Amino acid sequence: MNIKRVLIYSILGFAALIYLLPLVVMVITSLKDLDEIRSGTLLSMPQALNFDSWDKAWGSACTGVSCEGLKGYFWNSVLIVVPAVIISTVIGALNGYVLTKWKFRGSTLFFGMLLIGTMIPFQVVLLPMARMLGFLGLAGTTSGLIMVHIIYGLAFTTLFFRNYYISIPSELVNAARIDGAGFWMIFHRIILPLSIPIIVVSVIWQFTQIWNDFLFGVVYSSGDSQPITVALNNLVNTSTGVKEYNVDMAAAIIAALPTLFVYIVAGKYFVKGLTAGAVKG
Amino acid sequence: MHALKIQNIEKIYGKVKVLKGIDLEIQPGQFLILVGPSGCGKSTLLNMIAGLEPVSNGNIFIGDRDVTHLDPKDRDIAMVFQSYALYPNMTVRQNIEFGLTIRKTEKSEQKKIVEKVSKLLQIEPLLDRKPKQLSGGQRQRVAMGRALARDPSIFLFDEPLSNLDAKLRVEMRGEIKELHQREGTTIVYVTHDQIEAMTLGDVIAVMKDGEIQQFGPPQDIYDNPRNQFIASFMGSPSMNFIPCQAEKVNGVIQISLESGNEKVKVPIKQNIKGLEAYADKSIILGIRPEQITQQGEEKPDSAKLNCDVELIEPTGPDTLVTVRINGVKTVCRIHPTAESKVDKLMPLLLDMSKVVFFDPDTQERVY
Repeated sequence: MNIKRVLIYSILGFAALIYLLPLVVMVITSLKDLDEIRSGTLLSMPQALNFDSWDKAWGSACTGVSCEGLKGYFWNSVLIVVPAVIISTVIGALNGYVLTKWKFRGSTLFFGMLLIGTMIPFQVVLLPMARMLGFLGLAGTTSGLIMVHIIYGLAFTTLFFRNYYISIPSELVNAARIDGAGFWMIFHRIILPLSIPIIVVSVIWQFTQIWNDFLFGVVYSSGDSQPITVALNNLVNTSTGVKEYNVDMAAAIIAALPTLFVYIVAGKYFVKGLTAGAVKG
Repeated sequence: MHALKIQNIEKIYGKVKVLKGIDLEIQPGQFLILVGPSGCGKSTLLNMIAGLEPVSNGNIFIGDRDVTHLDPKDRDIAMVFQSYALYPNMTVRQNIEFGLTIRKTEKSEQKKIVEKVSKLLQIEPLLDRKPKQLSGGQRQRVAMGRALARDPSIFLFDEPLSNLDAKLRVEMRGEIKELHQREGTTIVYVTHDQIEAMTLGDVIAVMKDGEIQQFGPPQDIYDNPRNQFIASFMGSPSMNFIPCQAEKVNGVIQISLESGNEKVKVPIKQNIKGLEAYADKSIILGIRPEQITQQGEEKPDSAKLNCDVELIEPTGPDTLVTVRINGVKTVCRIHPTAESKVDKLMPLLLDMSKVVFFDPDTQERVY
């Protein structure tokens, strides 16, 4: 019994170590200067805590022509992610509410078509979406990119909320209707307070999807409005002078920090929300 | 003046007629039970009275208002659901106040109503709890409190006791009845449980396949079922149906009963005109378990038969004895002290003054 335990834990520990290794390498590389990187091995420890490369990645590294670091692009991403996540979650919640509690003729078909939306690969929508953005005069703008993310995310958020709301008894809605509440009042006073777990799921999902998105970002934005993923790519690929591995690593960590942060803060709700089913009345 | 009037209500889903023209009328203060097996349309009918389901054809009046196409909130009704449907994110107090707040009742008035209702239902100590901290019976009370607070002209109950355990169900049943007697409320109550129907109702509508089979006071439905379905549905254990041969001897219809090795002919003294038509034909005798008793309980119109006992089930106050009469299993309600043994003959008395007859083909009552 005891030996089994030891075995299980050592296997788990080993797996965790392997998973964590890239992150460890990134962190220690970002803290070395270039001489240390050249002379040492991948896993050798930095001699001192040296945040110069982080400074450079944030404020002065070259991303293509301009050399102002990731700073501006980080805020670009925030400006894209925050409205896109909020709007797609709100609309997804409303969709789920209507699809489960206020069914209309053809609502099942409607939901089926939305489900197909979750299976469409990014690449397929690139050209039609570009045409549409041009038609709307939103090509190359931040609002255009936000709109793309909202539309693409809606299928997912609707699916989340619909599957969650289906387990909320309809009698609850009927009781509220008899009590005199209308569509919005029921949503606001009865349904939303029960939705915290699934809102967390939707927010985490959308946040990571949109923050990590590269393809839409590189296609639909230009110049100063590009998101951080595109800037990171440019930073790493800028090929003047020596390759600054420490700056690359620091930049990559900066780009990944927000999603990491969201998972650490809300991760346990994520699991809870995905597995949460019946709302006991 | 009626409290609720339903005129020729129909519900059609695609090609299926779920309700086939229902007519009903009850007076203020009456307790109406809609009872029937599952799928008979009773819950659909209730939901249509509530306004939760659109009406395909026909009209519904509450008081003298035509509410057929009104929203639930405009119908002046309150409803208690099977799952109680308490708002899980609100306290008991907020649950009760919710409907009042929406209707913009004054705060001071709300407080008075909550006080009154919670006192009536003895839920005062629970007011600040959330529904998930309550037991089944307490949730049931709160759900009733929420309905009472609104003081509507009609209360709708949708199988409110079916989620409770047996003991609590009997207890809450009593409380609902008491509440009705005290407050004089008008209630429409859906159940599939015939005992609830019998104990609670002033009037019962027995439903089957989207139609009302019989409408009347509980005792009348119990004593004078219109057909075999109603007779078997109301009462537990249900009525025995014994097929027998009728013949006319000296101007009197007799039926033959056989059990063990004994065969007797029993003249029917009840004045049932329709029986004449069944001379020399078969007919179904309907007799309730309590109308077959042990010896020593002779009634003016008792028939005696020695029966082969097949099964004995003591329930405490009575013992249910299963015998075979004319080849069918027949349940009798016997006093527990009466001696009976499996596979032994037992002399039994059939009270013929209350038996009913049904046509074997149509299963309709013979009057």
